[in-house]
Amino acid sequence: MKRRLLLVLTLMLALSLVVAPTLAQDRKVVTVSYTQEPLTLNPLYVTQWFATNVIDMLLTPPWFIDDQQQAVPVQVTEIPSVENGGISEDGTVITLKLRDDLKWSDGEPLTSADYVFTYEMIMADGNTVSSRDPWETKVASVTAPDATTVVITFNESFAPWLTALFTASPAMPEHTLRPIFDAEGTLDAAEWNKTVNPGSGSFILNEWETGSFLSLVPNENSFAGTPKLNEVFFRILADDGTSQNAALTTGDADIGVFLTAGDAVELEGAGLVISQVASGYNEGWYLNVNPDTAHPAMLDVNVRKALVMAFNRQQIVDDLLFGKTRVATSYWDGSQYVRPDAKPYDYNPEEAAAMLDAAGWVDSNGDGTRDKDGTELVLRFIASQRQIRKDVQAVVQQAFAEIGVGVETSNYDNFFDTYGEGGPMSTGQYDIGEYSGSSQFPDPNTADFLCSEIPSDENPEGANWIGYCNEELDALFQEQLKTTDPAARVALFQQIDQIIFDEAVWVGVWYDADLWATNARVIDAKYSGADPFWNAVNWDVSS
Amino acid sequence: MGRYIIRRLLQAIPLVLFVSLTIFTLLQATGDPLATMGGRSPTKSEDKARLRRQLGLDKPLLEQYLYWLIGNDWAKFDRDGDGIAEAPGTRYGVLRGDFGTSIVTKRPAMEIIVDRLPNTLLLMVTAEIITLFFALIIGVISAVKQYSIFDNVLSGFSFITFSMPIFLVGFGLLYIFAVKFREWGLPYLPTGGIFDPQEGRSVSQLALHMILPVATITIISVAGYSRYVRSNMLEVINSDYIRTARAKGLTERSILYRHAFKNAALPLATLIGLDLPFLLGGAVVTERIFAWPGTGRLFLDHLELLDYSVLMGLLMLITVAVVIFQLLTDLMYTWLDPRIRYS
Repeated sequence: MKRRLLLVLTLMLALSLVVAPTLAQDRKVVTVSYTQEPLTLNPLYVTQWFATNVIDMLLTPPWFIDDQQQAVPVQVTEIPSVENGGISEDGTVITLKLRDDLKWSDGEPLTSADYVFTYEMIMADGNTVSSRDPWETKVASVTAPDATTVVITFNESFAPWLTALFTASPAMPEHTLRPIFDAEGTLDAAEWNKTVNPGSGSFILNEWETGSFLSLVPNENSFAGTPKLNEVFFRILADDGTSQNAALTTGDADIGVFLTAGDAVELEGAGLVISQVASGYNEGWYLNVNPDTAHPAMLDVNVRKALVMAFNRQQIVDDLLFGKTRVATSYWDGSQYVRPDAKPYDYNPEEAAAMLDAAGWVDSNGDGTRDKDGTELVLRFIASQRQIRKDVQAVVQQAFAEIGVGVETSNYDNFFDTYGEGGPMSTGQYDIGEYSGSSQFPDPNTADFLCSEIPSDENPEGANWIGYCNEELDALFQEQLKTTDPAARVALFQQIDQIIFDEAVWVGVWYDADLWATNARVIDAKYSGADPFWNAVNWDVSS
Repeated sequence: MGRYIIRRLLQAIPLVLFVSLTIFTLLQATGDPLATMGGRSPTKSEDKARLRRQLGLDKPLLEQYLYWLIGNDWAKFDRDGDGIAEAPGTRYGVLRGDFGTSIVTKRPAMEIIVDRLPNTLLLMVTAEIITLFFALIIGVISAVKQYSIFDNVLSGFSFITFSMPIFLVGFGLLYIFAVKFREWGLPYLPTGGIFDPQEGRSVSQLALHMILPVATITIISVAGYSRYVRSNMLEVINSDYIRTARAKGLTERSILYRHAFKNAALPLATLIGLDLPFLLGGAVVTERIFAWPGTGRLFLDHLELLDYSVLMGLLMLITVAVVIFQLLTDLMYTWLDPRIRYS
């Protein structure tokens, strides 16, 4: 008996070894390396990049932002504009016209009522949603006059609506979630948060083993097209380059992101395709001009310009970043909001030295460092603990020494803490601070340069850490917030960009696009900085 | 014996409470769990204030600890921010089996931990068994053949592996057996995870994916254990009763395995008993390198998020396991060594 059983088991094992690979080869699977596991799949509860991208595949927004940073309709028939009546003349009412063939993956119709329900859930006190922005402060109401119309009324004209309305929190199925909310008073513990089933994406969740993988398979009821792949497999890896590089090199993963420049060079050598994708981030110098905390020299715009001209940023790009990027020309580099003729300040240490002389900063006591009125020109250059920033600090220290400017470098774990938390940037314990910042990408709006955002005891969460206040700039920022005409808004931002450049309060160091690696067998993967997997429905693999 | 066990368990209660309060206080001091909530941008100040209120993080530390311990369903809270406490709490507390809810995933902390425990136990128990197997063989042979070439080579190897950081061993094995073997056209091992999606989930896939993480843990652990076995064996085989056994004409094999090894294994049992509870915590570094979905990786992930419900759950699980396994080890000692009696 035992022998027979053993024989049967052996035969089954042998058969599985022969048949399984044959079956497996017929399936089209793309494996994405994920260095963080999604925390939850309910969009209301998460802002994590790794979660929102999976959610995009399970729960479609009204529109995606594509790889050209253009809005592509998904659930709506067209992108609202003043011309098509989707935006009111005064910019306070946005009307979404939904497709009439929308349905959830369980076959139930997806209607404007689902949008209103989602708004209610964002605002419900029982739900510990991660953000109510902009709903709480900007939106007066969301209504559904009929099954395919959603009307959003703002308190006042709100230009950044395109990237703020139901894009981070797409419509959720009322028929599934309303009973749960009515019974429990919250969606916090809803089982749907782990499955997003029913969903509205081109894919549905097949399996999620926490800490290990997520498996997505095509949604047979999708209105957004049928995927060409049989499965997208998200493999959860450690958030260090080594494990991801090994997985990509060996083919255990097909797609990986957030590569360092060094990783990109190595993986390119191993045959992977490297893509640079703008995500709004640009590594830059934030120059402290707050009279209460900055070195007196920093208050002179010519000194700031001289410092920038003494810093060879191209050398950083070539030597430390292996030429995998370029010097950033603007806070909005990589978007349409940058000035068309924008170019970085030249590297010219001789002229920098002359400008410092002209500003009165000369080495009067012969100690090798410039001084003025008894104050030595020694600046505090701070950054986080990231190694590449430490390398930049070392390069700058050496370069500035050659023009008689001293540099004291410091690196902080709590670099990004707010004023209220005692962060070194927000409390002005620096003259030059370096990090990679972003607007509300792909929307250009930012609070980093507003007078009202200068941190203080009364405003401990203030975002303007450079302490710069310019009424003309403030007025332009206020105007762009109310400007619904896209072209006019671009023009306003180009004016804003010019002022920031001329004032040298923010200076680009390198264009900090996301670096993606893709196995050459993957076809038509076009990543967007805003919605990276917007075209996953079109992904395919070569045989 | 019964009274002894009850006394030990009662003594453990204040110890566990003290440990829980200490860990709770330390975790609260590590930072703000609402700072980014795992996102790329800082949480907006108005959202932070609302979440603090909704999650009860605006309460004083001791009050939060009390709610964690005994629950808050007897108190009322201000959910809508109007300054009036109107909604009853929903937590039952650890003493009633509720370890709280993860701040970031919104799932019950114990559910998150229990999801990962089988994977960790599979990895760690396998590694522990293999480690003990090799440690006993190497330790015994090294002791019996003291100062032989075998002993010297293994001693040298043990010192090298014991002093190596585990990430170096892990990445070294990963690089050689997964990356380089593939490059050289040799049969290669997977870089991580528990199965290849192209092949599907199977026992053979699981076994294949276990090889590198198990090898990493084993290489590091064998060294320490084998040195311990060696020194115990050396102490025993040089003792008087072994000399007497030899004088009585017993075979060397019988002396070694029936008399020497049994006594040499006694202290080893203590060591294993004390190590077992830590298996629950997983191999933090190894699980991370090989993307093994266990509790070690869970701990690191949630430490980065300062998700104290999950961290507290994991640490308390280990604390209670340490207490229980210490007691079991002591009890086992009376069975292994009849000279020991507890009253």
